[in-house]
Amino acid sequence: MPVLRRFRSSIAAVSDDLVLEMRGIRKEFPGVVANEDVSLDVRRGEVHALLGENGAGKSTLMNILYGLYRPDAGEIRLNGKPVTFSSARDAMRAGIGMVHQHFMLIPVMTVAENVVLGSEPVRNGVFLDQRAAMRRVADMARTFRFAVDPDARVESISVGQQQRVEIMKALYRNVDVLILDEPTAVLTPQEASDLFEILGTLRREGISIIFISHKLKEVLEIADRITVLRRGKKIETVPRQGATEASLARAMVGREVLLRVEKPPAEPGEVLLSVEGLHVRDDRGLEKVRGASLEVRAGEIVGIAGVDGNGQTELIEALTGLRKAEGGRIEVGGRELRHASVRHTLDAGLGHIPEDRQRRGLVLEFSIAENVALHDYREAPDSRWGWLFPSRLIERARRLIEEFDVRGGGPLTPAGALSGGNQQKLVAAREISRDPKVLIAAQPTRGLDVGAIEYLHRRLVTERDEGRAILLVSLELDEILSLSDRILVIYEGEIVGEHGGEVSEEAIGLEMLGGGQRQVA
Amino acid sequence: MTTAWTNRLENPVSARLRDPAFTGYLGLFLGAFAAFLAIPPIEARTLTWPVVVGIAATLLGIWTATRGRRRLGYGAVATGVLGIGLGILATRSGTENLHAVFDPTLIAQTFGFATPLVFGAIAGMFSERSGVVNIGLEGMMLMGAFWGVYGADKGGNWIVGILLGAAVGALLALVYAYFAIHLRSDQIVGGTAVNFLALGVTGYFFVQLYHNNYVPNGVSTIPNIRIPGLSGTHFFGPAIGNLNLMIWAGFVLVIVSYVVLFKTPIGLRIRACGEHPRAADTVGINVYAVRYACVVLSGVLAALGGVYLSTGNIGGGTFIANMTNGRGFIALAAMIFCNWRPAGAFGAAVLFGFSSALALRLQVYSASAATLFNVLPYVLTLIAVAGVIGRTVAPAADGKPYAKQ
Amino acid sequence: MTEPRHDANVSPEQAAQTGTLAARISLTHRAGGVAVPVVTVLVAFLMGGVVVLATGHNPLLAYRDVFNGAGLNWIFHPTTNIADTAAYHLSQTLLATTTLILTGLAVAFAFRCGMFNIGGQGQYFVGFYVANWVGFALEGMTPVLHILLAIGAAVLAGAIWAGIAGVLKATVGAHEVISTIMLNWIAIWIGEWLVADGGPLQDPSQPFNPTSKAVSPGAQLPVFWGSQSLQGLHIGIFIALAALVAFWAILNRTTLGYEVRAVGFNPDAAAYGGIDVRKNIIRAMAISGAFAGLAGALDMLGYIYQFSQNDIPVSAVGFLGIAVALLGRNTAIGTLLGALLFGGLLFGTTHGLTSNVISPELAGNLTYIIQGLVVLFIGADVLILYLWNSRRRGRRRRPPAPSAEAAA
Repeated sequence: MPVLRRFRSSIAAVSDDLVLEMRGIRKEFPGVVANEDVSLDVRRGEVHALLGENGAGKSTLMNILYGLYRPDAGEIRLNGKPVTFSSARDAMRAGIGMVHQHFMLIPVMTVAENVVLGSEPVRNGVFLDQRAAMRRVADMARTFRFAVDPDARVESISVGQQQRVEIMKALYRNVDVLILDEPTAVLTPQEASDLFEILGTLRREGISIIFISHKLKEVLEIADRITVLRRGKKIETVPRQGATEASLARAMVGREVLLRVEKPPAEPGEVLLSVEGLHVRDDRGLEKVRGASLEVRAGEIVGIAGVDGNGQTELIEALTGLRKAEGGRIEVGGRELRHASVRHTLDAGLGHIPEDRQRRGLVLEFSIAENVALHDYREAPDSRWGWLFPSRLIERARRLIEEFDVRGGGPLTPAGALSGGNQQKLVAAREISRDPKVLIAAQPTRGLDVGAIEYLHRRLVTERDEGRAILLVSLELDEILSLSDRILVIYEGEIVGEHGGEVSEEAIGLEMLGGGQRQVA
Repeated sequence: MTTAWTNRLENPVSARLRDPAFTGYLGLFLGAFAAFLAIPPIEARTLTWPVVVGIAATLLGIWTATRGRRRLGYGAVATGVLGIGLGILATRSGTENLHAVFDPTLIAQTFGFATPLVFGAIAGMFSERSGVVNIGLEGMMLMGAFWGVYGADKGGNWIVGILLGAAVGALLALVYAYFAIHLRSDQIVGGTAVNFLALGVTGYFFVQLYHNNYVPNGVSTIPNIRIPGLSGTHFFGPAIGNLNLMIWAGFVLVIVSYVVLFKTPIGLRIRACGEHPRAADTVGINVYAVRYACVVLSGVLAALGGVYLSTGNIGGGTFIANMTNGRGFIALAAMIFCNWRPAGAFGAAVLFGFSSALALRLQVYSASAATLFNVLPYVLTLIAVAGVIGRTVAPAADGKPYAKQ
Repeated sequence: MTEPRHDANVSPEQAAQTGTLAARISLTHRAGGVAVPVVTVLVAFLMGGVVVLATGHNPLLAYRDVFNGAGLNWIFHPTTNIADTAAYHLSQTLLATTTLILTGLAVAFAFRCGMFNIGGQGQYFVGFYVANWVGFALEGMTPVLHILLAIGAAVLAGAIWAGIAGVLKATVGAHEVISTIMLNWIAIWIGEWLVADGGPLQDPSQPFNPTSKAVSPGAQLPVFWGSQSLQGLHIGIFIALAALVAFWAILNRTTLGYEVRAVGFNPDAAAYGGIDVRKNIIRAMAISGAFAGLAGALDMLGYIYQFSQNDIPVSAVGFLGIAVALLGRNTAIGTLLGALLFGGLLFGTTHGLTSNVISPELAGNLTYIIQGLVVLFIGADVLILYLWNSRRRGRRRRPPAPSAEAAA
C-alpha cells in the first residue's frame, strides 16, 4: 500500500486566468465515439486532474491537445487565441508538453542529449556545445530539485529519473501546460512522492499541469480541480475542496441500469484453482503481482475487477505459464504448476481465452481449422508420426463452427477475415472444446459487438454449470458484476476485496481505485 | 558521478594501470607486437621474445576481461595467442620469403586495399545510423567504379570521373531511398535489388560503350601524393611516402565523419533517427529528410570508394566486370564488426585490407593457403555477430521503416 | 464501450508496424493474387526495353531473339530431336530451370518461416563442392548408391551451412541476413581454395589451370534428352519437380510445416500453442539450405562435373533464386513459373543467343537489370497493401469469400 505524503498546497494562489480551453471536442474512431462534446478549461498555475476509467476518453482528449490527433469537432484556445495543431511539433511550439506513458527517450544517449535534441546549443556555428547543454540541464535539475546526472545514459537511470528527463524536455522548451499521462503507473511509491513535490515546484513557476489518472487518492492529494470523464463524455468538473473519494467514484462509475445475465445460482464444488501468495514481475522488473491469493471452485465464476495496470495481465501470464512467477503457489486440480511450461499447464486442464486474441490467441494467417488445432496438432487424430490430416482438422473445425455459431467463413477461411466477435468465439471454441477444468477468460468481450458479448456471456455461464471453474478478468465493471458469482478486486498487485454477487457498484469502484477500507498513513 | 576520465585525472599512474580499457588496448598492441617481432624489419629469429610478449598480451587480456571489458579482453587474448603462433611461423620460414612478404610496401598496399572499404564502411555507417539498412553498398560501389572510369576517360580528367561516379552513386541511392523510406519496402530486398541493378547496368554499359571490353590505356588516374623528404627514406618512403590522394581522403573522411556524427547537432539528430525515430519526430526533427540525406550520402561515399578502385592506383584506370567482387560486403562487415563507429570501422577496414594484401603476398608460400586468407573478414564478422566477443549493437531502429502517424 | 486499440497500452511503435515479415508477405499474397507478379514482370521488361532502346537497339527484336535463345520457340514446332536448335535451347533452359527451382525453393521456404535466407548461393556452393568430392572420391561404387550418397551428402552440407545461421539467430538473435551473407562469401573463398594450386580438391594432372577432379561416370546423373557429353537434360529435373511437391507437402501436410509457419507468422501465438520457437527457426533454415545444397549437387552431378576457380565468381543461381521466390510469392507453383522465366532469361541471353540486334554480353546484363527491377518492385509491398486496403474497404458489407490459401 503506497504511502502518500501530505501534499502541501502552494502558497501562490491559482489565478483565474485561463491558459487553456477546450470546447465541444468530439473524436470518433471506427465503431466508437472516444470523446463526445467534451469541454475542459485549465487555469494558469493549477494542477487539473483528468479522472476516469479505462475507455473513458482521457488519453484521446490529451492526444488531441498534444497534436497527435485531430478532433472531428470543437476548438482549442490557448491564452484566449484559437489554435489548431497538425503535429506534436506544433503543440510543442505553442507551449504544450506531454509526458507519455511510453517515454520518448533514446536509451543510448545521455540525459543532456535527450533533453536538447532538436534545439541543440551550438558552438562556433557548427559544433554541438555539449558543455552548454550539460550546464543548462544541470541548472534545470538544480532549480527543480531533480536528482539526475546530465551525463548519464538514459538506459542506466531509474524509471523515475527517466520520467524527470521527460519533464525536463518540456521545461527546456518553455511549456505553459504540461500533460502527464498516468505518471505514477510506472513509479514506486517513493518516486511518486518525489514526483508530487516536483509538480509543486512547477506550479509555483506558473506552469499548469494536466494530470491524467484513475487513482482517487493521488488525485485528491494534488489536484486543484478535477474533471471526471465517463464513456467519452464529461461528467463534471469539481474543485478539490468538497470532493470525496465516494463522490468521485460515483461520478466515474455512474448509476446506470445494469444488464444482468439470467443465471441460476451457482453451486460451487471442490477447489480447482488455487493461488497463494503469488509474486510476479513485469518485463521491466517491477513487481506487478505482490502476494495475490485466490481460489476458484468448480461450478462458479470468479471475477477479478480492477483498473488496467494493477497486475491482472501479469497474474494471468503467470497462471498460464507464459511468465515465470517468483514466489507463491499455483495449483490446478491439485497439481502444482508454478514452474510449468505452457504445454504442461494446458495439459493439466487449464484453458485460456487470452486478452489479445490477435497476438496470443490466433495466427491470423492460418485458416480456422489450423487455428483450432493450435494446441492439439501434434496428437492423433490431427496428425500421426508428423503427418497432418487436414481433413480431420477441417471436420473438427466444422463441428466447432456450428456449435459456437462462428460466422464469416468456413474451416478454410483465414482467421484474419473474421470479425472480432467471431474471432473471439473461435478462440473460446477452441479452448472450451478441450474440456478444461479451469477456464481463464481475460477481457473476453473486448472490442466486440453486443450480440457477440451476449453469446459469450451465456456460454460462460453454461460452462460454469458444466462444472468448470471460471476465472474472469475484465476491465468492464458491468461484465464482472453481471457474470460473477464472487468478485475479487485487485489493486496494485494484491487482492484487496472479496464480495458475493450482490454488491454495489460504488463499493467495488472505490476499492478498484484504492479507496474504501484501506488505510492512509 | 565520476567517470573513467576523471578517475584518470586524479591519480594518473595507478588508475591508468588499473583501467581495463588501457590494459585491453595494451594487450592488443602487445599481441600484434609479438608477431611483429618476428618479421622484418626486426626479424627476430628465435622464439623467446615473441613468446614472452605474446604471453604478456594474453595475461593482460585475461585481466581486462575479468574487469568487465570482455570484448577487448578476449580480443587481446586472441591477438596474444595469434602473435605467438605467427611468431612461430615466421621464425620457421625462410628469410627471403619473409622479405618478399613483409616489406614496407605492404603498408602502402594495405592502405590501398583498405580505402574502398573505408569509404564503403563509412557510407554504410551513415545510412544505418539514420536507421536505413543499406546492403546495396556493393552495387553503389560498382556503379562508382564504372562511371568513374568512364568519366575520367571521356571527360579527360580524373576529377570528372570522381564527379560522375559520385553523381551516379547518389542517383542509385536516391532510388533505393525512395523505395525504402517512402514506400517502406523491405530494405534487405531493396538492397539486393540495388546490387543486381548495378551489376546489370554497369555490365551492360561496359559492353555498350567499350566494345572490346577493355578501357583503353592512358585514362587519367587519381594521382598519388608524394611527401617530400619522406620518399627517400628506407621505411617510410615506400610505406606512406607515395600514397594515392584517395587514401589520404579516406583518413580525412574518418576524422570528419567522427566529428560530424558525435560532435555536431546534425550528427545527434541522425543518431536519434536511427535509435528512436518517433522520439526524434516529436521534438521536431524531420526523420524522412534526415534519412534521405544519409542514404544519398552513403551512395556518394560508396561510389567514391568504387571510383578509387578503378581510377586509383589499384585499378590503374581500367574496369573489369563486377570489379568490386564483394568489397561492398566486406565494408558492410567492417561496419558491423566495430559497432557502427567510424574509428572502429576504419580499424576494421585496415585489418581487412591487411588480410587482403597478405593474401596476395602469401602466395609466395602456397597459393591455396593464401586464397583461404581471404575468408578472414567474413569469419571475424560472423564471430562478432555471434556475440562471442560481446554483442554488436546496431542502432535500435535500424531497418524499421518509419511511419508518421 | 472499450477504448479503441489506438489508445490501449500499445506503444505507437507497435501500432505502426505491420507484423512479421512472413505476415506482411502473406498479406501481399492475398492482395492481388497472380496479377501483381505478372504486372511486375511486364513493367520490368518494359523498363529493360527502354534501356535497350535508349542504347540504340530494337527492344522488340532483342526480346524475340532472347525468346528464341531460350528455346521457347520450340512450342511452335515441337520435336524431341536435339539436333534442332530450338529443342536444344529448350533443354538447356530446362537445365537452368532445374537449378533455379531449387534455389528458389530455398528462399521461399525460409520466407514462409519468417526469415530471409539470402545465403542460397553459399549453400548451393557447399552442396556443389561436397557433391564433387563424393563424386570422384568414391569411384567404383554402384552408380545408384554413389549418386544417392553424393546427393545426400550435398543436401546435408547445405542444411548445415544454413543451419549455422539458424543457430546464430535462435541463440543470440543474430540477424540471418548478415550471417548468411558472410557465409556466402566464406563458401566462395573456400571453393577458390579447394581448387587452387595445391588445394585439396585440385586435379594434379592440370597444374596450369587449377581445376577440380571430375565426378566419376558412375556418379553422373543419367541424361534423358540430349547426349551425356553435350550437356543434355538430366533426370535432375524430375528431382527438382519432386522437391516442389516435397516443399508443398512439408509446409502443408506435416506438423513440422505447421510449426514453422506458425512461428513465421506469429511467434507469440506459436509459443502459446506450445511450439518451441528456437528449434523451429533452426529447422526452417536447415531445410531451406538443404534445397539449395540439392541444387548444387544436381548441377555438379548433372552436367558440370568439375569446376575451376573461374567458375565460382560467375555463378549467380543462388541470388537469382531470391528473385524467383519473390516473384513466385513463395509458393510451389509460383517458384516453378519464376524458375522457368529466369531460367529462360539466363540461358536465352547468354549461351543461346544468336542475334544481330543485341550481343550476348549485353543481353546477359539485361537479365540482371530485369532481375533487379523485379526484386525492387516486389519489395515495395506497401503499394500492394494500399490497393488491398482500398479493395477491402469497398467490400465491407459483404462477407469475404473463403479462400483456398491453405492449399497453396
